[in-house]
Amino acid sequence: MSEIPVRFEFPGNPPIKKFISNLAEAFPLQLTSQHYAVKTFYDSFDWRLYNANLLCEFNQSKVYSYLNLIHRETGQVVTRANLEKVPAFIAELGDSRLRQQLLPLLEMRALLPIVSLNLQLYQVNLLNKDEKTVARLTIEEYEDLKHRLTLKPIKGYDKATEKLTEFLLSTMALEKTNKPLLIAALKNQGRKPADYSSKLNLKLEPNLPAHQAVKIIYATLLQAIKLNEQGTINAIDTEFLHDFRVAIRRTRAGLSQLKAALPAEISSRYSQHFAWLGQITGTPRDLDVYLLNFSAYQAGLPAEMQVDLLPLQDFLQRKQAAAQQELAKYLNSRKYLAPLIAWEQYLKLPAEKSISAEVAELSVKQLADLRIRKVYQRAIKQGSVITEHSPATALHELRKTCKKLRYLLEFFQSLYPPPEIKTLIKNLKELQELLGNFQDCAVQKLALQHFCEEIQGSGCSQQTFLAIEKLVQVLDSKSCKARADFSGCFTVFAAPENRSVFKALFSPTV
Amino acid sequence: MKIIATYNIKGGVGKTATTVNLAFLAAASGYRTLVWDLDPQGASSYYFRIKPKIKGGSKELIAGKQDLDHLIKGTDFDNLHLLPADFSFRNLDLQLDAGKKPTQRLEKLLKPLANEYDFIFLDCPPSISLLSEAVFSAAHILLSPVIPTTLSLRTLEQLKVFIKDSQLKKLKLLPFFSMVDKRKKMHLNLMATMQEQYPEILSPVIPYSSEIEKMGIQRMPLPAYCSKGQALEAYQQLWQALLLQL
Ligand SMILES: Nc1ncnc2c1ncn2[C@@H]1O[C@H](COP(=O)(O)OP(=O)(O)OP(=O)(O)O)[C@@H](O)[C@H]1O
Ligand SMILES: [Mg+2]
Repeated sequence: MSEIPVRFEFPGNPPIKKFISNLAEAFPLQLTSQHYAVKTFYDSFDWRLYNANLLCEFNQSKVYSYLNLIHRETGQVVTRANLEKVPAFIAELGDSRLRQQLLPLLEMRALLPIVSLNLQLYQVNLLNKDEKTVARLTIEEYEDLKHRLTLKPIKGYDKATEKLTEFLLSTMALEKTNKPLLIAALKNQGRKPADYSSKLNLKLEPNLPAHQAVKIIYATLLQAIKLNEQGTINAIDTEFLHDFRVAIRRTRAGLSQLKAALPAEISSRYSQHFAWLGQITGTPRDLDVYLLNFSAYQAGLPAEMQVDLLPLQDFLQRKQAAAQQELAKYLNSRKYLAPLIAWEQYLKLPAEKSISAEVAELSVKQLADLRIRKVYQRAIKQGSVITEHSPATALHELRKTCKKLRYLLEFFQSLYPPPEIKTLIKNLKELQELLGNFQDCAVQKLALQHFCEEIQGSGCSQQTFLAIEKLVQVLDSKSCKARADFSGCFTVFAAPENRSVFKALFSPTV
Repeated sequence: MKIIATYNIKGGVGKTATTVNLAFLAAASGYRTLVWDLDPQGASSYYFRIKPKIKGGSKELIAGKQDLDHLIKGTDFDNLHLLPADFSFRNLDLQLDAGKKPTQRLEKLLKPLANEYDFIFLDCPPSISLLSEAVFSAAHILLSPVIPTTLSLRTLEQLKVFIKDSQLKKLKLLPFFSMVDKRKKMHLNLMATMQEQYPEILSPVIPYSSEIEKMGIQRMPLPAYCSKGQALEAYQQLWQALLLQL
């Protein structure tokens, strides 16, 4: 029901009181309130709301406290909700329009304050002869930002808004703006919105020497590690650790798959450190995953059994808290930090100081072609020999190869025509999903059996053990399904037309 | 979307006051709310300071030549819109009669608004006419203010019979007592007997109150200028009782 507002900025930031009294000489106005207020913008660390074209602003003063969900381009209020404080997780809110709108976007991500602004807020109504309000003005007076005026039309009184708009532009010399305030506020801090994404977005030139290109890749990944480090230590939400770990795994895959581009001594030294990081982040991440999956686990059980699983959740939560604490300790240690600093410095060194003669003289395109071809062929080979009777380890090995292939494709995306590379990644993703499901079910089954042993004798009821047993069965049938779907899925992946695309894209260029 | 009509064949029983105040309370609790002022006298338009005039008058409106949405005006309150009255509404019956299926006309006109509003209040003029029949088939709730007098007993009975005969399945008749003077013995006695006879009568009672009378001077709904008191509480209770019936 809310109308699209007209937004203005004040060049030169004149005092607002004076402005209102000047305006009141030309228009019948009613100042309804004036008070000090604080406006705070919220979003997830990876800007999910901003990317969904929304802004989330929390407004507080001594007379109100509410959250506005605003359309990023038009400034239109999508949803307004009275709230005393913003919950860290939107799932904590009671059932409401706001929750319904935000939960699918934010999922497991926390809402974090981005910028907070102090302002003097004036609310003014434009009246007609009958003293009816025909438009509303909200004026925000800032210290180090341009003041803003938002003119909200009232349905059926567009003429009044038009007349006032004209006057504000021509006589009062205001300027229309459709830039969100958030952008200006971030600019003051030297920031830009959407300055973090969990997606790799590398732009590489084909002729760049391979050793320079891999340093760019590693530096980007190191940046992601650093950006997610504090959030991981403080366990703000589970995605920090997730993204932290992905950056580590990508770095490891790079160090092993792109060995040729760096001196062997360097690759091996840092491989060890990143392997250790992979290891210490593994358990806490697994526990996060079990807890994130927990309601799905419950939903897989018959209704009357679902409560019986709750002691498992308690147990997992306790275990996760302990694992998290241990991880935080590691990430604050010198053992973690010192090699990472050395790595950063190494990546900054000029080529003549960091590269020895043994490093191959390849361009990044040559290296990429070579490695992707190799790993792709390995995947085809491994997959082709898998039959119904092959052991689980065969699928597991294929899964690891596919993961490497995926990372390589993502590192080097920018070197290839986007439509082709996107299709290849999509096909690969489907196969990976299936292999991932198969593997996850196997790992979770095993883990559940371990947990059962651990909680033996902790006073858990027989019902709980029965529920866990049932859950193991559910996972079992899921993994059987994935196993049964494998051959169909692999046939698509290895189809001749896909093979020829691979061949055409990654053949050595002469 | 629910359509609530305030109706009584008799004039001056508090229909408009009830419409305006309940609509205000609905909007204030976040429901997207529309008031349609069907009375050519334009009393509810007056309370919202909105000109009782619509483009094309009742003729084009009933003929479906005007998009309702373009005629709707925003009130001074969030979530609350008004479709104003027009002097030509005195001919609504004639215009309805001129078209096909006159009693289903309002329902059809309101249909496109179903996704726009949670509640639509119809403020009806006093009378029994083709318009009131059209209102009866459009509405989910017929909210009927009743002043406790012997005469009103009879009109309520007539209304019940009429609704029953017309086989209006969707419509729920909800009477309530309006303009009650608790110092008058006759009011109290009549209320007691009527409540026995008509258990569907809502229990909250709107008292006779000078605060409510002031709406005409204030030109706004009661809760917009009065933050506490018996009259306000009575409307709040009435609104809650009505929500329970939905
Ligand atoms: N509870 C009340 N106490 C005192 N005065 C009231 C009360 N309710 C309504 N009034 C006043 O009585 C008059 C008639 O009320 P209202 O307009 O609401 O009745 P109505 O049924 O809509 O009348 P009409 O049939 O003319 O449309 C108005 O002046 C109104 O301010
Ligand atoms: Mg009336």
